[in-house]
Amino acid sequence: MEAALIVPLLAAAVQSGTPILFATLGEMFTERAGVLNLGVEGMMVVGALAAFLTAQATGSPWLGLLAAGCAAALVGGLHGVVCLHFLGNQTVSGLALTIFGVGLANYLGTPFIGQRAPGFEPFDVPVLSAIPLLGDILFRHDALVYLSFLLPPLFWLFWHRTRPGLALTAAGEYPRAASAAGLNPVALRWAGILAGGFLVGLGGAYLSLAYTHLWTNGMTAGRGWIAVALVIFAFWRPGRAMFGAYLFGGVMAFQLRLQASGTDVPSSFLLMLPYALTVLALVLSALRGRGASSSAAPAALGVNIEPEG
Amino acid sequence: MRGFRLIALLLCLAALPLLAACGEDKAENKPAPQAAPAQAEPAAEPQAAPAQGAQGEDAKIGFIYVSPTGDAGWSYSHDVARKVIEEMPGVTTSFVESVPEGPDAERVILNMARKGFKAIFATSYGYMDSMEKVAKEFPEIAFMHCSGYKTGPNMTAYFGRMYEARYLSGMVAGAMSKTGKLGYAAAFPIPEVIRGINAFALGAQAVNPAAEVRVVWTKTWYDPAKEKEAAKSLLDVGCDVIAQHQDSPGPQEAAQERGVYSIGYHTDMTAFAPKAHLTAPIWNWTPFYKDAVEKILAGTWQHQALWPGLAEGTVDLAPFGEMVPQDVRDMVLAKKQEIVDGKYKVFTGPVFDQAGKQMVPDEQVAEDKDLLGMTWFVKGVVGTTE
Amino acid sequence: MEPPRWGSIFIFPVALGVSLGVSCLLLAAQGKSPALGLEVLWSGAFGAWYTVEDTLLKTVPIFLCSLGVAVTFRMQVWNIGAEGQFALGAVGATWAALTFANLPGALLLPLMFACAAAAGGAWAAVPAWLKLRLGINEIISTLMFNYIGILILEYLVYGPWKDAGSHGFPMTSQFVPAAVVGHFPGTRLHWGVALCVVCAVGLWVLLTRTRPGFELKASGESLRAARYARMPYNTLVLLVMALCGALAGWAGLLEASAVTGRLQPSLMVGYGFTAIVVAWLARLSPARIALFSFFLAALRVGAENLQLELGVPAAFGGIMEGLILLTVLAGQFFNGYRIRPGGAHR
Repeated sequence: MEAALIVPLLAAAVQSGTPILFATLGEMFTERAGVLNLGVEGMMVVGALAAFLTAQATGSPWLGLLAAGCAAALVGGLHGVVCLHFLGNQTVSGLALTIFGVGLANYLGTPFIGQRAPGFEPFDVPVLSAIPLLGDILFRHDALVYLSFLLPPLFWLFWHRTRPGLALTAAGEYPRAASAAGLNPVALRWAGILAGGFLVGLGGAYLSLAYTHLWTNGMTAGRGWIAVALVIFAFWRPGRAMFGAYLFGGVMAFQLRLQASGTDVPSSFLLMLPYALTVLALVLSALRGRGASSSAAPAALGVNIEPEG
Repeated sequence: MRGFRLIALLLCLAALPLLAACGEDKAENKPAPQAAPAQAEPAAEPQAAPAQGAQGEDAKIGFIYVSPTGDAGWSYSHDVARKVIEEMPGVTTSFVESVPEGPDAERVILNMARKGFKAIFATSYGYMDSMEKVAKEFPEIAFMHCSGYKTGPNMTAYFGRMYEARYLSGMVAGAMSKTGKLGYAAAFPIPEVIRGINAFALGAQAVNPAAEVRVVWTKTWYDPAKEKEAAKSLLDVGCDVIAQHQDSPGPQEAAQERGVYSIGYHTDMTAFAPKAHLTAPIWNWTPFYKDAVEKILAGTWQHQALWPGLAEGTVDLAPFGEMVPQDVRDMVLAKKQEIVDGKYKVFTGPVFDQAGKQMVPDEQVAEDKDLLGMTWFVKGVVGTTE
Repeated sequence: MEPPRWGSIFIFPVALGVSLGVSCLLLAAQGKSPALGLEVLWSGAFGAWYTVEDTLLKTVPIFLCSLGVAVTFRMQVWNIGAEGQFALGAVGATWAALTFANLPGALLLPLMFACAAAAGGAWAAVPAWLKLRLGINEIISTLMFNYIGILILEYLVYGPWKDAGSHGFPMTSQFVPAAVVGHFPGTRLHWGVALCVVCAVGLWVLLTRTRPGFELKASGESLRAARYARMPYNTLVLLVMALCGALAGWAGLLEASAVTGRLQPSLMVGYGFTAIVVAWLARLSPARIALFSFFLAALRVGAENLQLELGVPAAFGGIMEGLILLTVLAGQFFNGYRIRPGGAHR
């Protein structure tokens, strides 16, 4: 590939990484509160559909965005009921959520295939977009990309510097101790599921309102699962999540650009890259983080809170 | 638990109005079955129709689609024609959509045959083997398979010469491109798609001999995100006109955002990219299907391989966008007339492959069987057919 | 798995009733007669012997994949990779069929079964090994292996294995007769139906009458207890994953050899994912898996008839499936909750 392609490639990496970034941060939020939610793919696709339908009906992409967050949080709420109140197995429930969400979105969305909704259009950020290289890569996108730039630092501040953030950490690490300190870990975990679900929904909305302005069944195409993998890859840290999401976005964008510049590699192999890289990323983080990975995970992740007494 | 079920219930309730809406839609589109089929039962001797229904019963015509009919693409284009046939006297139609190619197709075709359908149209190449199998068991039914090559005593292979319209769209693209680099977001490396890319490239080279066509395979028929990204990747390597072979308007959006031109496909995609959309090679199955059904009803249908094109109106070019200058329009329309009149044929030699080997001798036209099984790119196409 | 509680007998009929009721409402909302709809659905699946044949044919791949998935789920190994294992099984069998096309059927077919089992099993064993060695979440790795497996199949049929006589379409050449799994005389049913019975019985014996089966049950119920009893947990995980891969691989073999007679990308229609739903509904019991895969196959075959006769959209079948899954799951939670509040579902 020629050097002139690098800047557009990086810009494309940021754009195709953005939906994954939203979903990864959402899942990270939920997991740090101690709940493993494997339903990301299902919530994300429901979010994408809700965003599309709402934007089409109201003409406002921002309302669509809100609807996506709420719809995904609602679907995530099923997980909350099952795991927090009926102490269902978190793995099983999350898997069920994915099957349910994908099925629901396919069913409701099929009549809307081939239609268009108003969405977010790219615009250049004044001043910043004039920075050589960096401006082209980072500041010629749409509003949601700029919003996603703000999230990781906010995320970090919230978890480390605010009282609710610390309380949520307690629910994820030591729910019994949190309970002893007068906090309600079940309520905190509910907050983790709903807020995380909202963020996941935004990731879905990005696909149907900004990345394209169209809807199709199975639009997320595995991005939700990649997000689950990235949370582990990122050791539950928002900064690394950003890096991971752009890495994946970059690989997705790269394989198409490799084809466009005329390679002889069969397209099947190129299309495999993002999935193979997911496995590779997990292997690498397992090798590098032996011990580190287990200590980075919230101590009570996936462990239900048994009623006391 | 109550909450769980409540949410489930809510979700189902949310689905209800939507369904009702779909139902209403359908009701509006489909007229009530015609009440006067008497004169429709043809007086002509039905050649091979012992299983013909009782007097006054409508002939049932079945359609099998590979995707939902709402896809605004391939299945939609066939369903438009089906709706016209539905209104013909003496005919009722049914369809099954989203039928996977392979084992499931055989079951659906067999079911239609057992229910006494008079003709069955299967509109994806992967239905070919299944249809051939069933056709042997039901000699009295007319089997119509689109986009394959197998025929039988009661099985017709039909397709449209979309490549003729693609050639014309290639001329438009070649004329409108400044860089001479054209991008082509392609679906799957099968002969139909490869043929289309080649015809597009030849059309572009007829206007600009140096034109080159870059190909990116998405391995999808309808994935807006991936197809849009494929188009962007083509734009990044310097292409300034984007063509496509998938059903989604994703590539059109990419062209519009970057301020370059695009060529649509299937239907007029202007609405998705008014500033970019130059034209589109489009399907119009109605005349062909109407003719076929009329002949089947009259018992005069011959089973054969049929490949209608521009001349028959099965394929066409969508209206030009405003930005296409008059001289380009005139040139393309003149060529279209030549093709319609049979004076010009796409793939007239000399045609060379990517390596420069001559594939079609001078002054000769590639044979249909070679076109149907095309697996190589013409010179000037950058990409691989794997 | 815990033994079924008395209440569970009622779960399925009630859940089925609820979901059929909602489906009827949906039909009515579309202006179709619910009674007619149910009748069309029924006759599409069971209306005649040949529709029962169709349903049985569709049951085979779902059943085999689900059986494999259920065994891994019993071990609390969340293998959702049956789809990729199915693809690799078909690839393995096709490799044998194409490479040794001149062997007699008595040798070629067993060889194909062995290759399908080896390829499918290996495709499942890699994520298992990654889980055991590196602690990599098997849900994610098996899912990624699905995508990769399907793309490997696509690469082969679009590239090196493409039949020269196929006019450029992505498919291998037709298998030689010796490589085709035969049919019961006079029917469309192939011998794979018999294989299902053999596999089910074999698995039942393995689970209830052998030492590995006992160990498997014990480690599935309590990992700690199994480790305490020095059970070979790692070996068991590898074993069940490979078993699942082999079963799913055979499903792929049967679809390629007995149904289409060649390898082509359209074999992949998501049986591996359906299998997960079935394993779940059946609460991992082989007998119930048979029942539910037949039921789900009937629902899919019947839903086509709904499209054909009443013009109901294809997605309707999907929502019926979803409703049944949801109501059965809800019923199971309800049942578990009523009898043992708290901690019932650890």
